[in-house]
Amino acid sequence: MELNCLGMRCPLPIINLARAIKHDSEIILLSDDPATLADLAAWSRMTGNSYVILGPNKYLIKRL
Amino acid sequence: MSKAGTVLGVGSVTANFQSETPLHPTAREFLLGAFDRGWADPEKTPRESRQAAILRNEAKEIFASHLQVPSRQLEFLADPSLGFHLGISGLLTPDSTLFYSGVDRSEVFAVAGGCPGEKLPVSLDGSTVYPAGKPLDVLAWQAINGETGIRSAAPHGFEGKIFVDATAAGHLTELPHNWSTALWSSKAWQGPAGIGIFAVADRSTWRNPLPHLDNSISNSEYSLPLAMASALALQAHVAEYAANLSRILEINTFIRNYIAREIPDVDIAGNIESTVAHLLSFSILYTDARQLVDDLDRRGFAIDSGSACSSANLEPSHVLAAMGLLTHGNIRITLHNNVSLDQVQVFLESLKEIVEEKRK
Repeated sequence: MELNCLGMRCPLPIINLARAIKHDSEIILLSDDPATLADLAAWSRMTGNSYVILGPNKYLIKRL
Repeated sequence: MSKAGTVLGVGSVTANFQSETPLHPTAREFLLGAFDRGWADPEKTPRESRQAAILRNEAKEIFASHLQVPSRQLEFLADPSLGFHLGISGLLTPDSTLFYSGVDRSEVFAVAGGCPGEKLPVSLDGSTVYPAGKPLDVLAWQAINGETGIRSAAPHGFEGKIFVDATAAGHLTELPHNWSTALWSSKAWQGPAGIGIFAVADRSTWRNPLPHLDNSISNSEYSLPLAMASALALQAHVAEYAANLSRILEINTFIRNYIAREIPDVDIAGNIESTVAHLLSFSILYTDARQLVDDLDRRGFAIDSGSACSSANLEPSHVLAAMGLLTHGNIRITLHNNVSLDQVQVFLESLKEIVEEKRK
């Protein structure tokens, strides 16, 4: 599933991601908020999920 | 004094957990009289000047005894942030590499932008591995991080010259034996803004990077009354800090335990051993710091935040990002000497309610 969070400010991309990942085990996240990369790393560490950077403002998140 | 007084334009606060405090009462009382006595130029000889020179020397002696630096190595700066340039650029040569860390203050990054440098990585616990370096290299070493309160390990193995950023650490700074230059900010001990304390260990390895006629740095003008007020604030603050330390440490531990028990998914910077007692930073997952700051403010609690949404430029705190800590929902608490456990308990209960409401 693709989750488009372009234009959203933190913490909205991470909140939306957390909601979406309950239903899909893999999410492609689009986000251009400057805090997203740092927060994805911290969120993954805190929740046990994992992420890969696919490109500028594009990430693949996999549920634990 | 159990009430923290009034924050400008905000109204009465129940507790002030911001890094800024009202000027220490001792410093304030002195300042009122000092602007009458300290106006003369201490380098001239008439009576008023001699009086000003005595005042300057007294101030230097107070700083020397509490900061553990010989008074002859100390200088005053009207602009504390200028000290980053003086302290670092004054040690650099064309063959130097500047080593600094991702959690350094932005003033260090600004200096690093103009010379060959290497930004050292920071671990999740806030620690940095320092290189050995070469004799001409320079290390910008932060004694204590002002956002997280985490103490840095002493860079004893570094073979080059060391600039010590003591702006957040204040009197808690332990200068490494091989330090070269150091900078303190008066705000660390409830002193007035607009005065920095700068030290050079050995003048032979330092040159003034500003336009100058001789190699002294005292061509920078400063306010002698502010310097003396800062010295008196330091003296009073050191005593009050020592008297309250065990209480503040208990309150800090109480906050950490409360959060771990009552508010899930919170990323706390460092632990009780790695941080100083009066500083605490934590980030609350899925919350907006701007809203937390505003809601807490409405309940009478003034706090700081390093989150992007609460900063003017919308960039998250580079300190949190460098450590890999969560950058949104960040709250920074400064426990001042007059804080009480009652205030903190009410604060934490308010915070818990607000977070539960926001997370619904």
